[in-house]
Amino acid sequence: MDNRFFEKTEKIGFVLARILMGTVFLYASYDKILHPQAFAEAVYNYQILPDAAVNAAALVLPWIELVAGLCLITGIWLPGSAMLAALLMAAFTSALVFNQIRGLDVHCGCFSTQTTHGPANLWTVIRDICFLALSVYLLIRTVFWPRQKNGAAFGRLA
Amino acid sequence: MLTKAIWQAAGIIVLACFLAASVNLLRDSGIPFLGDWSADTRFTDDSGQSLVISLKEASRLYAENKAVFVDARPEYQYDRGRIKGAVSLPWQDADDRFLEVTDRLEGKETIITYCDGENCELSHELALFLSDMGFEDVRVLVNGWAKWRNAGLPTQGEGRDNG
Repeated sequence: MDNRFFEKTEKIGFVLARILMGTVFLYASYDKILHPQAFAEAVYNYQILPDAAVNAAALVLPWIELVAGLCLITGIWLPGSAMLAALLMAAFTSALVFNQIRGLDVHCGCFSTQTTHGPANLWTVIRDICFLALSVYLLIRTVFWPRQKNGAAFGRLA
Repeated sequence: MLTKAIWQAAGIIVLACFLAASVNLLRDSGIPFLGDWSADTRFTDDSGQSLVISLKEASRLYAENKAVFVDARPEYQYDRGRIKGAVSLPWQDADDRFLEVTDRLEGKETIITYCDGENCELSHELALFLSDMGFEDVRVLVNGWAKWRNAGLPTQGEGRDNG
C-alpha cells in the first residue's frame, strides 16, 4: 500500500476518532452535570463504590468527562485526555460487565440519568466496548506511538 | 511521553474536582459531598418521609394482628419461604395482580412490604405503588425476609410451617 495514502487516511481517522470520543464524553457529561442527585443514585445502584464515595464520584466524574472531552476535541493535553478516556471507558465497561454477570439490574446512567431508558443490557456493554477500543487506539496513538512530524514512525511499519 | 500523559491526566482530574466543587457549592440543586445512603434516607416517600419500619415494630404489629405483610419478590421465592400469612405481590406484576389481592390488603392498619437484601429496592417501589393506590400507612421492612427468618419469627413455605 502506498505509504503516504496510509499515513493520510490514518491521520484523518485519528482526528475523527478524537472528535467522536470527545463528543461522546461531552454528551455524556451534560445530563449528569444538570442532575447530580439522579446521577448519584445511578452510581449508588451500581453497588461498587463504598457509600461514602458515591456523591464525590457522582460530582467529579461528569466534570472529568467534560474537560477530557474538550481536550480531545481541541487537541490540548491530548496524551493526558486520551489516557483518561481509556481509563474511564475501562472502568465504565468493567462496572457494567460486572453487574451484568452478577445479575444486578442497573440503569446504565451513561448518557441520561432518567431511569425511563430501561436497564443496561448486552447492547450497552457492546457499545461501551466499542468506545473502549476507540479510546485505547487514541491512547496508543498519542502516548505509546506518537507520530513524528516527518512520518518516521510509519516508515518502520511499512 | 507516558510521564507527560500522567501529569496531564492528573491536571485534568484536579481541574475537574475544582469545577465540580465550585459549581456544586454555587448551585441551588447541589448535593452533599458526603451522601447519606442509609436505608432510612433511601426508602422515603415522595415528600422525603422515611418509610422504614424496624423489625421490633413490625413484629409487634404482627403479634397484634394489626399489619398485613406484602412480599415484593418474584413468586417462586415467595413459594419457597415467606413471612407467615404474607400476601404475594411481586413488584414486576404489581399493576396486573393488584386487583387480585386488594381484598387481602384492606382491613388492617398498616401494610408492610418486604423483599430480601439490604439493597433490594422492590419493597420500596411496591410501597410507593401501594401508597399511590390510596393505602395510607405503608411501610418498608428493609431486608425483611432475612431479618424475619434470622429472628426466628413465624414463616411458612414449601410445606414447612414453623409458626
